[in-house]
Amino acid sequence: MLPTESIRRVLDAGLAKGADLAEVYLENKESLSLILDEGRLEKATQGNDIGGGVRVFYGNNAAYAYTDDLTQESLIEAAGVAAAAGENANNAQVCADLTKGESRVESRIERPFEQMSTQDKAGILRKMDEVTRRHSPHIVSVQCGYTETRRRVWVYNTEGVWAEDDRSFLEFQGQVAAQKGDVRQSSATGIGGQVGLEFFDDRDPVQMMPEAADTALLMLDARPAPAGEMPVVITNGWGGVLFHEACGHCMEADFITKGASAYTGLVGEKVGPDFLTAYDDGTIPGRRGTMRFDDEGVPTNRTVLIEDGILKEYMWDLTEARRAGRASTGNGRRQSFRAMPMPRMTNTYIDAGPHDPEEIIRSVEKGLYAKRLGGGQVEIGRGDYVFTVTEGWLIEDGKLTAPVRGATLVGNGPETLRQIDMIGTDMSLDPGRGMCGKGQWARVSVGQPTVRVPKLTVGGTE
Amino acid sequence: MDYLKFARDVVSRAVERGVEAEAFVNVGQNTSVNVDRGEVEKLSQAGSKGLGVRVIRDGKMGYAYTSDFGASSIEKTIEAAVTLADVADGDEYRSLPAPQPLPEDDLEVYDEAIVELPIGRKVEMARRIEKAALRYDERVVLTNRCTLMSQHGTVAVANSKGISGSYDKSFIGGFVMVMAADENDRSMALGFDFGSRLGDFKPTEVGKDAARKAVGMLGGKPVPTQRASVVYSPMAATSILEALSRALGADAMQRNRSFLEGKIGETVAADMVTVLDNGRLPGGIATRPFDDEGVPTAATRLIDEGVLQTALHDHYTATRDGTASSTGNANRRSHSAMPTLDASNFYFQPGQETPEEVIGGVEQGLYVESVMNTASINPISGDYSISAKGYWIENGELSHPVNEVTIALPMQELLHNVKAVGNDLTFVPMMGALGSPTIRVDGVMIGGSG
Repeated sequence: MLPTESIRRVLDAGLAKGADLAEVYLENKESLSLILDEGRLEKATQGNDIGGGVRVFYGNNAAYAYTDDLTQESLIEAAGVAAAAGENANNAQVCADLTKGESRVESRIERPFEQMSTQDKAGILRKMDEVTRRHSPHIVSVQCGYTETRRRVWVYNTEGVWAEDDRSFLEFQGQVAAQKGDVRQSSATGIGGQVGLEFFDDRDPVQMMPEAADTALLMLDARPAPAGEMPVVITNGWGGVLFHEACGHCMEADFITKGASAYTGLVGEKVGPDFLTAYDDGTIPGRRGTMRFDDEGVPTNRTVLIEDGILKEYMWDLTEARRAGRASTGNGRRQSFRAMPMPRMTNTYIDAGPHDPEEIIRSVEKGLYAKRLGGGQVEIGRGDYVFTVTEGWLIEDGKLTAPVRGATLVGNGPETLRQIDMIGTDMSLDPGRGMCGKGQWARVSVGQPTVRVPKLTVGGTE
Repeated sequence: MDYLKFARDVVSRAVERGVEAEAFVNVGQNTSVNVDRGEVEKLSQAGSKGLGVRVIRDGKMGYAYTSDFGASSIEKTIEAAVTLADVADGDEYRSLPAPQPLPEDDLEVYDEAIVELPIGRKVEMARRIEKAALRYDERVVLTNRCTLMSQHGTVAVANSKGISGSYDKSFIGGFVMVMAADENDRSMALGFDFGSRLGDFKPTEVGKDAARKAVGMLGGKPVPTQRASVVYSPMAATSILEALSRALGADAMQRNRSFLEGKIGETVAADMVTVLDNGRLPGGIATRPFDDEGVPTAATRLIDEGVLQTALHDHYTATRDGTASSTGNANRRSHSAMPTLDASNFYFQPGQETPEEVIGGVEQGLYVESVMNTASINPISGDYSISAKGYWIENGELSHPVNEVTIALPMQELLHNVKAVGNDLTFVPMMGALGSPTIRVDGVMIGGSG
């Protein structure tokens, strides 16, 4: 992006007042987004976001300045602003030789986005729309979207780090509304990954639309969900969003080092059943959370969070790792050059367990099957969480008997994890639509097998 | 740099390609300070800028953006927008708005005192937030992400119909997460405040408010599952307003994505419910002279004593409606996004009773202080089920803390079941600029133990 000689000068400017560490982060993001609504390609947006920032550490404290003008002069000015936040006359760090880092991941896309015309991309959206409208006369609204993003990042620091990453994301989304009389229901779906046009070799975004339509149609006739405590079986794949929210966030190091998380100080302790193992893995090819290097230039890892029910490790970025005097796990991420990094999940999942998924449903006398989940939220201090079930089913005598709508799940993350009493053999990762918000947005992947929680509060209206 | 002139220049260059064109320019300075136990843990400062170009030809629209204001980048951006418009489908209602007279009232959205505030004062304010929280009670054990943010900048909009305007805006705010703990329990709560004027911003209140909530919730437990009256704090009531504002958008109504579709002129709520949107509320967090496509903002009465009056409009939805005019509600998240329809300062009109009187009218019920997962409320179906924390009301008074419960009722019923509206209108500037007094809703399903 810039010659390493220029980077050296910027890093030197960052160290000028006696800082311990200086870092340069550069980014070039290009994106194209198409939205089809009411059968018309209505919104087509293209743009470029380029910029960089300089971060300077004095002990555990960090100052950051950024610019959208990527010249050596502007970056040196930013370095000066960041460096001025502290002063340590007794410290004289020098910049180590920059050495291009190696990653465990070789995720190069095969066919770049440019090899397909915008018209042809729009054509796929038209097909998605047509198929959905044809699906049922009760479908009253269809929206489809396509987004491609290429995000290149360069990270350098005075300890010699030189990391480059090139991330390409392709995503399709769909939203369907159905109506009968005065009753309306809607359903959303999405598919994607870190992938080029080879996406189309084995996946078809058109196929997900009738499924989404079916959920909306099913919910039209569904009865209101029950309220109260009952056994809950959570679907595999996207169901892993519950572990991500309710437990994963509580294992991010920023809340740990403060003592603000329910999992603080519990490494080595039993936090779940013996047959529960969970990972955060930033190296899985093609997934949304995958990176060659994180946004601080650290190679990504497969981190064992929980092994056989024992808490093994948290997720660390550089700031928190420095504070704790240890190494980062490669979980430092930022939304863009306008934000400082923080510990974030990448691709997080519960591994396969010992139980037959059909047997899990058969084991429930009266409860809820959460077949599709929407979003959720957690309060990290206690680990209290809430989730929306966008397609739920009553389980009666071991069988799925009736669809229910408007269900919400609430509970306490660490407690729910301890209570899990069945984990299926059917581990899968989500189809690729996860977006995590923690003050900054980050693409993530989640996954799990079918999971049973013997007692959970369901918030319906009956 | 004269950003309005820059915007006009971009428009004239785009027009040469035979399109209607609009340029949106947003330039700003941002500071964010994060303190931990008095030390400046993170500090970030920078300027940023952006340009968005929207073009329309034969009702076909294209959009492109850049943060590089160099001549070749501008050409490339215009070219991209024109090319994308060729790919898009035509829509007879798609056009750019024409200029309208701008009222000259002082909206108080720019405060020189925020612009001139030195970094040292900002650090000191962040420390005051933290100190107020830590000193509130000995059970307050720590703060997390104690942050002060300030911004100031300029917005300029110009289009080929002759719209040409700019304004300056400023903003200051702070938030903190506070954890309280005793021997049996721990709890965390968020305190925050944002505003356009330095004088209105009270850092110590941010810290105290978070501490009060965190300490109060210690020992909270679910209550048994039941149907009961619920009293919403202003902050909790924004869960209703957020979904309501989306359902009241004309885009949602025109496209069959609103539970209120086809209900204009009908009674949709209890007669004590009046809902307003006011983009000209002095000092309001969403206040501005014109919206993000250059149309003057306005005060709009959406629900009047329970009767649905109108929807929120931007230029497109008003044109499509045929008889409506834009209510000045076109909004963009940043220069990189096309304008979309969104509420401005959107609120329930306050009533006569004090919050104590509203609570006092309930024999047994739940006072909800805070809620989670409000994004799940569905403005299409009206399905409403979220998690809540607060206090049990016993004989008109708050008793023990309650957590890990859900509150649920379809929005259609919820609006009709409003039984009391307080006089304490408070804006909650976390999710847009929603405001509510304390309100009481009867017959809400509480999901808890058993």
